[in-house]
Amino acid sequence: MISGTSRARRTNSLLWLLAVLVPVALAGEPESIQRQSVPELWGLEQLMVELGRLQHSQARFIERKYLKVLKSPLELSGTLEYDAPSRLVKRTLEPKPETLTVEEDRLVIESPARGRSRTLRLAEYPVLWAFVESFRSTLKGDLAALERFYQVALEGGPQRWQLSLTPRDPKLSALIESIRIDGSKGRITRIEVRETQGDRSVMTVLEGAP
Amino acid sequence: MKLRGRIVVLVVWAAAVAACAWLAWHSRYTTDLSAFLPRSPSPSQRILVEQLHQGVVSRLVLVGIEGAPAPVLAAISDALTQRLAGAPEFAYVSNGAQERLTADGEFLMKHRYLLSPGVTPERFTLTGLREALENDVELLGSPLSTLVSRLLPADPTGELQRLLELLEPESGPQKRHGVWFNTDGTRALVLAQTHAGGFDIDGQERALARMRSAFDAAAEQRPTGVRLQATGPGVFAVAARAGIEQDVARISILAVLIVSVVLLLLYRSPLALILTLLPVASGAIAGVAAVGLAFGSVHGVTLGFGATLLGEGVDYAIYLFTNRIPGSEPGRSLARVWPTLTLGVLTSVVGFSALMFSDFTGLAQLGLFSIVGLIAAYAVARFVLPQLVPEHFGVRPTAGLGPALTWAADRAWLLRVPLLVLVVGSALWLTLRSGGLWDDRLESLSPVAESDKRLDEAMRRDLGAPDVRYLVVAKAATEQAALEVAESVGAMLEHARQTGALEGFDSPATILPSDATQRTRQAAIPETDILRETLDQAADGFPFRKQLFEPFLQEVSAARQAPLVSAGDLKGTGLALRLESLLVAHNDGWIAMLPLRGVRDPGLVAAALHDANGVELLDLKGEADALYHSYRGQALRFALIGAGAIALLLLASLRSPRRAAEVLLPLVAAILVTCTLLTMGGRQLGIFHLVGLLLVVGVGSNYTLFFERETFGRTDPQRMLLSLALCNACTVIGFGLLSLARAPVLSAIGTTVALGAFLSLLFGAILAARMRP
Repeated sequence: MISGTSRARRTNSLLWLLAVLVPVALAGEPESIQRQSVPELWGLEQLMVELGRLQHSQARFIERKYLKVLKSPLELSGTLEYDAPSRLVKRTLEPKPETLTVEEDRLVIESPARGRSRTLRLAEYPVLWAFVESFRSTLKGDLAALERFYQVALEGGPQRWQLSLTPRDPKLSALIESIRIDGSKGRITRIEVRETQGDRSVMTVLEGAP
Repeated sequence: MKLRGRIVVLVVWAAAVAACAWLAWHSRYTTDLSAFLPRSPSPSQRILVEQLHQGVVSRLVLVGIEGAPAPVLAAISDALTQRLAGAPEFAYVSNGAQERLTADGEFLMKHRYLLSPGVTPERFTLTGLREALENDVELLGSPLSTLVSRLLPADPTGELQRLLELLEPESGPQKRHGVWFNTDGTRALVLAQTHAGGFDIDGQERALARMRSAFDAAAEQRPTGVRLQATGPGVFAVAARAGIEQDVARISILAVLIVSVVLLLLYRSPLALILTLLPVASGAIAGVAAVGLAFGSVHGVTLGFGATLLGEGVDYAIYLFTNRIPGSEPGRSLARVWPTLTLGVLTSVVGFSALMFSDFTGLAQLGLFSIVGLIAAYAVARFVLPQLVPEHFGVRPTAGLGPALTWAADRAWLLRVPLLVLVVGSALWLTLRSGGLWDDRLESLSPVAESDKRLDEAMRRDLGAPDVRYLVVAKAATEQAALEVAESVGAMLEHARQTGALEGFDSPATILPSDATQRTRQAAIPETDILRETLDQAADGFPFRKQLFEPFLQEVSAARQAPLVSAGDLKGTGLALRLESLLVAHNDGWIAMLPLRGVRDPGLVAAALHDANGVELLDLKGEADALYHSYRGQALRFALIGAGAIALLLLASLRSPRRAAEVLLPLVAAILVTCTLLTMGGRQLGIFHLVGLLLVVGVGSNYTLFFERETFGRTDPQRMLLSLALCNACTVIGFGLLSLARAPVLSAIGTTVALGAFLSLLFGAILAARMRP
């Protein structure tokens, strides 16, 4: 009645629901973090410093979503672009073009096929924000921001490392079990998100510009 | 007079005062400001005014918490909301936090197949279902899959999403730390709805007290500087009442004190002072008793007028004492004054009686109070006071004042040319000034302080409460009929929306569809087995797991048999608040209101609604302004009738157009100059100023009457001038103090009459025929 069934609006109302059903209270300072033991010379700080050196990067990605509701995984592909310190663009090309741009505290969703774009403030959608920061803060090498949302654990060495992120807030952990980020030196190679209901998505970041 | 007659008079007076005092004591006193919102003429305007009084809008309280970093404010906002949620004074409290909104989400999810307009026979066909599933796959690819995959098994056709789309606040408030905030994060916002109507001031006061104590408890360990700001019609009403109560008490006490000091200085006799105040006190008691009898309750503002009664009521005693020559026969000097005094009382009474026909209950009370008070004061001064004055009692006024006044009055005619210039200048100023003489906004009657208004506007903006200007009102006999009308109006508006005439609209039927529509939706749902078969066919070729949609099949078939959703089911959700504001019981029927957004072409919208029965498109701003306009027209009519009646009265009793003109001319000049002074600096006049101008005629004539040639010739000029100056001073003090009141009705009338009464005396002296020795 009030508006057509434009997808952009629908996306927005879904986000609203997301905010409604699974909000996260972000007030308060993070408690002190218990770090796992890591090799003496190389650790989180060093990894973060190395990651933080990156000013600009571009890569292709392939994302596979293993969802319980589906018999076979969904596959999406496109490009990723990062500009330090806070701009991140995920451009899905296949199967349907869609662009997500995160800049500072805004998320812009553009669907060229429908000629619509929508801007959201991350502060209003805490779950989405936490999700964005798992990726962006890692790229930025911002350990403090990462630890605000997650308990962070590091395994492996400089050549091949693995970050495990566990949500701190019970409301977020009701949705997301863990996020695992694999990398090599100052580069991210793979992100795996495990959801509590058994759904899981794996994004492989392919080296080199598209 | 014989002793017996004297005793009879005193006994009658004492008995009357005692009876009036008893009545006044037992009167109900109110400070409900709606007495100064007029009874309204047209039905649609009545709805408007009623909504202002008791509607859900009037029960809203906007709360802001300020003075600390955002996370602290958010925590206090949460604690405050939790404490208020269970309070008996509040129907609804929300700070945007999830818990409240979850109730809405649960309600929508539970009843989605009866509430969603997407539930049509086409939706459950092979094509309809395939379309829905295609959509689902697309959403699963987006970052929202986390949520979509959870909802999918029960809601593959996306009815919950559709409902959220429909009901999503157009421009919802911003959130920080999970609760509503203003744009720059300095003020956490909470929205509350009281059970009490906005003009049930006692109820509103209790609600506010509860809110304050809840805030104190919620912010127990708050850093210093955290404060609670509340606005809304009820909050304003409470503040206005407190203001009136304080003002009335303060002004009355001040007026009595100042007038007493002035009289004491002149009389140098406490007995004379007490005797002078006696008629006023009797008049005030009689006035209150009369208002209590006639209206059932006495308004606080009416009591504020006691101060002005004081100003005029002391006049009679002043004339009595200052015109009494000690040792002389009291009757003779007074006999000359009484006819003029009687005429003065009559002109004042005619002036005030125009108020009695006003649509403003408050103004009608002021009129009755003043009339009864003046007549009683006059009667006491004339018949009772002489019995109380000891023989050979007289007042020797301060030496020097009388001769000085006489000297000035003798030369006042010299100012005639400057006065002419002033009057012509005023007339030009009033005709030529830009921006109009009258303030045409209904808000100008509002007793709300400018700073409070600004805070209220800012919070409304932050909370995204849209500023509704156009509203479609549909009337029907029953709740169901009203919802059905709302549905058909909705269809027409949707059509108009597609042509671009408006951006959107709200409807009660979106939140609660009519029973008929709900039944149609139930009928649109196929038998479970048939639906299962169609769905299986539709899902062919999609990667969905088998049996995935079993929850959907169960819930949709349950909805076919489910009891229809009624207003009662909404209890405890934020949607109930919205429904209540859009669907109201009214007299013996129901009214559905559909606020419109972004109206680009009101003409097209009106045309779209042309065929609808019992449906009206209201332009709220236009209506409100027209309403005010009609009140002002009425006030103007009464003022002219009142002034005309006074002129006729003067003409009839003075039996000479020339004499009447001599009395009226200074008044006209005084009114013109008063208007000019009031509108200096770009200010505009409102209804209450207009009322004040009428009173200038009624009160001012008391002074100009004495300057009329023949009257003046009959008196002792020196004593007469002295009593005129003294009476005028008391009147100006009474009305002048009233101008300090915060209630616009009191301050506007006070300022106007104080200025006008003083100018009447001054101009009367200037225009007086030259005095004979």
